[in-house]
Amino acid sequence: MTVHTIWYIKTYPGLVSQSDRMAAIRTDELTKQYGSGDGAILALDGLDLTVEDGEVFGFLGPNGAGKSTTINILLDFIEPTAGHAEVLGHDVRTESKAIRARTGVLPEGAEVFDRLTAREHIQWMADTKDVSADTDGLLETVGIADAADRKAGGFSKGMQQRLALGMALVGDPDLLLLDEPSSGLDPTGMREMRELIREQAESGTTVFFSSHILSEVEAVCDRVAILNAGELMIEDTIENLRDENGGTTSIELDVTSVPNDLDLQSVEGVREMAVSDGTIQAICSTPAAKVDVVRCVDDRTTVTDIIAEDTSLEELFQRYTGHNPKTESHEETATEAPEVTV
Amino acid sequence: MSTLAIAKRDFLDVRRAKLVWAPVALYTAFMLLFFWGQSTSSEPDFYAVMWSLLGLGGALVVPLIALVAAYLSIAGERESGRIKFTLGAPVDRSSVIFGKLLARGGVVLVGLVVSFVIGTVAAQILVPDMSFEYGDYAIFIAVTLLYALAYVSVAVAISAATATRSRAMAGGIGFFFLFNIVWNFLPVSPTQMLEFLLNELGRDPANYENLLELVFSISPTGAYLNSTKLFMSDRFLETVGTANAAGDPFYIQGWFMLVILAAWVVVPLALGYWRFGNAELG
Repeated sequence: MTVHTIWYIKTYPGLVSQSDRMAAIRTDELTKQYGSGDGAILALDGLDLTVEDGEVFGFLGPNGAGKSTTINILLDFIEPTAGHAEVLGHDVRTESKAIRARTGVLPEGAEVFDRLTAREHIQWMADTKDVSADTDGLLETVGIADAADRKAGGFSKGMQQRLALGMALVGDPDLLLLDEPSSGLDPTGMREMRELIREQAESGTTVFFSSHILSEVEAVCDRVAILNAGELMIEDTIENLRDENGGTTSIELDVTSVPNDLDLQSVEGVREMAVSDGTIQAICSTPAAKVDVVRCVDDRTTVTDIIAEDTSLEELFQRYTGHNPKTESHEETATEAPEVTV
Repeated sequence: MSTLAIAKRDFLDVRRAKLVWAPVALYTAFMLLFFWGQSTSSEPDFYAVMWSLLGLGGALVVPLIALVAAYLSIAGERESGRIKFTLGAPVDRSSVIFGKLLARGGVVLVGLVVSFVIGTVAAQILVPDMSFEYGDYAIFIAVTLLYALAYVSVAVAISAATATRSRAMAGGIGFFFLFNIVWNFLPVSPTQMLEFLLNELGRDPANYENLLELVFSISPTGAYLNSTKLFMSDRFLETVGTANAAGDPFYIQGWFMLVILAAWVVVPLALGYWRFGNAELG
């Protein structure tokens, strides 16, 4: 039997390439339960996740969905109740140090060391990774070069976050694990963070970051996973999510007068239509239908303005998680996952 | 490698905490007071100063120095979440414990050595007539540093086994109370309970003096106080009535006190690692 297996692998490398291909992160039925009996909380429920080498992966979900639990398992801060996880080809339980040697970590709500200077923080991380760090260059990259010799106790939340990111970049890691990287950052800081993530990805670094802010994930990620109440709701590219999940786009027309007995539903690809004072709105399942809607209405009346937009991912996010990301608070919220049909 | 990286960072960090130096200043102040006290005596005795330092330092100030310096070493990082920075780096949990022991132990040792140097210089000025016994003084300093290290180890271990500042503090105070005040100074100490028990059983406690002495010495403070045979003159020990009889069993001899103190460095660390190594740092 063993002999046969070896023979197979040697003869048909294609057969094993699927499992052999380098995945930066792979989890298999990863489960984490806190407590036992009636009071048990299932923080993570059989998570299967694969993050390919070199991609930017957004790990999305409301607070309390299990994102930090996942990251804590990947870094061996906590032990999974069941299941298995690998990072950069190493088992998270038995080879954690090897993982962390090649990973840059930005912990959630990072508080830095008050009595150490920014430079000392970077230097320390370089010491642990046994590399020599270009401290000034790194601090320049994250935008706090002028604070290099100040003690971090006086830093604002945003500066602390930048310093933490600088520490994560020490030693040019193969993988960046960023837990809520934009927390505490102002809009400029968030934009710079996104640019930095892109630059890192272009240089071949795999970036895995968690967020409860959808726009941030949408802007930089190749693929996303949406997690809710410990369960993986979906794992896909942003484009596929848009296409497959309703794939709706809407068009809104301002008109001088709304024609009587207008029936846009007869136009192919239009799902719904709504008419209100001087405005006609149509929800279409294909982008092409929008053009037909405009033609159809324009034949009957004068169109003064056209507003077209794709269904935002926020709607999608809301559908999967039962949360409105725009009003998302920072409280722990774990609700029942809504019924989802994909 | 990672142990040293942790130790270096932590040393930089903790030496800048002013609170850590306050008990060291207290120790120095008492030392100066004791030397000054001898300067008013007609026959200044160096051993009287060491005796006072031993009692006050052993019972109170040295544990205070060590506990203040180390009780938050790991629990503080866990409470604030900074432990995720520390362990996000390629660092083993055992390196965190050893690194913290090195750094906090280092701070305490530096503080005490500075204190002893100040005391030595002050003695030359305050009591120039006193004959200063450098050899015995050096042994006393070495034993005191070992005692301090034992308390640092206990504090680091408690800190490793707890997740919050309040629990670490409660653990530190609890240890100090149980293994110092209760064990060696209160009438409910294990030695006294044992004496009571022997009396109840109709045995004469006087026949069990060595055993009672060992029980007293099992706490770090007891071992420290019973290490006097290593550095105090016999003449002085006779005047305070604790001279050692010839033919004492090994387990109450001076050198065995060092073994007990060394065990107080090693055993707590092992227990702390056992707890911290499996802890959920969620």
